Amino acid sequence: MVEFLQFLVPGILIGGVYALLASGLGLIFGVMRVVNFAQADFMMLAMYLSWALFAGGVGLDPFLAVPAVFVVFLLLGMAVHWLFIRFVIGRRENHDAQVILTIGLGLIFQNLILIRYSSEPRVVAPSYANEGDFIGDIFISRVRLYAFLLSVLVAALLFLFLNRSRTGRAIRAASENWEAATYMGIDIDRTNRIAFGVGVALTAVGGSALVTFQSITPFVGFRFVVVMFAAVVLGGLGSVSGAFVGGVLIGIIQSVSQVWTSAAVKNVWVFALFLLILYVRPNGLFGKVQRAI
Amino acid sequence: MLEISDLCAGYGGVPALRSIDFEVGQQEHVAILGPNGAGKTTLLKTISGTVDADSGSIRFDGQDLLSQAPHKRVEAGIVHVPQGRMIFASMTVADNLRLGGHRRVARDRHDERRELVLEIFPALADMLGRDGGALSGGQQQMLAVARGVMACPRLLMLDEPSMGLAPRAADDIFEGIARLLKSETTAMIVVEQRAHEALEVCDRAYVLESGEVALEATNRELLADERLAATYLGSGPGSP
Repeated sequence: MVEFLQFLVPGILIGGVYALLASGLGLIFGVMRVVNFAQADFMMLAMYLSWALFAGGVGLDPFLAVPAVFVVFLLLGMAVHWLFIRFVIGRRENHDAQVILTIGLGLIFQNLILIRYSSEPRVVAPSYANEGDFIGDIFISRVRLYAFLLSVLVAALLFLFLNRSRTGRAIRAASENWEAATYMGIDIDRTNRIAFGVGVALTAVGGSALVTFQSITPFVGFRFVVVMFAAVVLGGLGSVSGAFVGGVLIGIIQSVSQVWTSAAVKNVWVFALFLLILYVRPNGLFGKVQRAI
Repeated sequence: MLEISDLCAGYGGVPALRSIDFEVGQQEHVAILGPNGAGKTTLLKTISGTVDADSGSIRFDGQDLLSQAPHKRVEAGIVHVPQGRMIFASMTVADNLRLGGHRRVARDRHDERRELVLEIFPALADMLGRDGGALSGGQQQMLAVARGVMACPRLLMLDEPSMGLAPRAADDIFEGIARLLKSETTAMIVVEQRAHEALEVCDRAYVLESGEVALEATNRELLADERLAATYLGSGPGSP
């Protein structure tokens, strides 16, 4: 039992971060039906920003840098939407263009970082990086706990934004029925731009929550992109809270499966569950979209 | 107030509206009648901007409308209650109404407007906390109209408010609309299959056929002329 808990607790902690990463992807898909293949590379950029702020003389703690990361990536996401994404939204025949555009953006981000910073792994190690506390027999890493708490806090703020603010309500309305939202006088282009910015910023914050225990390379996105997409599909396309639950679930499976099998095959268990859930519930746990693509 | 001239529109090269001339005066109530596929819905969508016009002009208060984005047209006071209701199903009735009042001039008047729509459709008062998707068809249609009224419309456009409803439920909707028109001075366009009910709340009617205006007449002319009534309105009151 103790052994089980020793894997369960870290699983929940990392799952919270997966959830945050996935909620950004889920928000963007839910609102504008764009599958953003560059999402994990925005995460990578955010990790480099956190690293630069920490290691580049400023010495800013990565958790304290989160508000700055959020604002920078909110603006970056809105700019990318304004420059590129808005031209490939809507019509079904634009779908190929969305795929090519977002994969292309991801490749450009990766290679710009590769040129600038090389492929050498970067590490952000604040003084408390290896500290932790025992609760009973279970060791809880401090940085992972902080990362989890940060994710929960950001998720709560996202929930408040979407449910309590005028812009958040407009975003939800646009995601449910863009035509009806148009008749309400909602500027769809604007809600899309904001949702894209917020979605990118959520994943970026997830990235900066990871830097204290995940080394950074230009291709670190590959390690997380599958988890993010699996979480979104598992939770149900179009549902932000579904993406969140999906992320936590994947973190738990990855970790708990190590009670029985090696860590090397942890994603096998994730996909076994993934297939099982989609077999039973083809639209995911909280799915709203029957057929997206 | 609304002047449309020589308007053509279509979907992917297939024309749906051919050279439409159409007019709504200040505070005037106009019905659009005609068979399925005549272009009634397309006309409303072209006015609100979810369908692009191919040629022609639409002016609202003398201002060119076609160059304006759809949300700007709502800000100008054109409020479209679409066919099929399009309720935000996962959001509460209260949130649906709040979204209806998204228009800038309506925001500060939310409480007052909500009181008004609950007077028009008292049935909604008990359902404010319920999800839009949990309502019956008739209740959803009330909500759709109420949501439009929340925006303080200057021109309210109702697309088939009785579609898919049982006769009783359709009557409730029209009674609500009649109550609305007693307290509001908005202009209105009603697209309806139930021609007689529509004419009861309208001053004038256009009949569309195959994307063209086949007839334009006051409701008195339409109802008085048996031949016109038989041709365009069906056999009598209550017929579909």
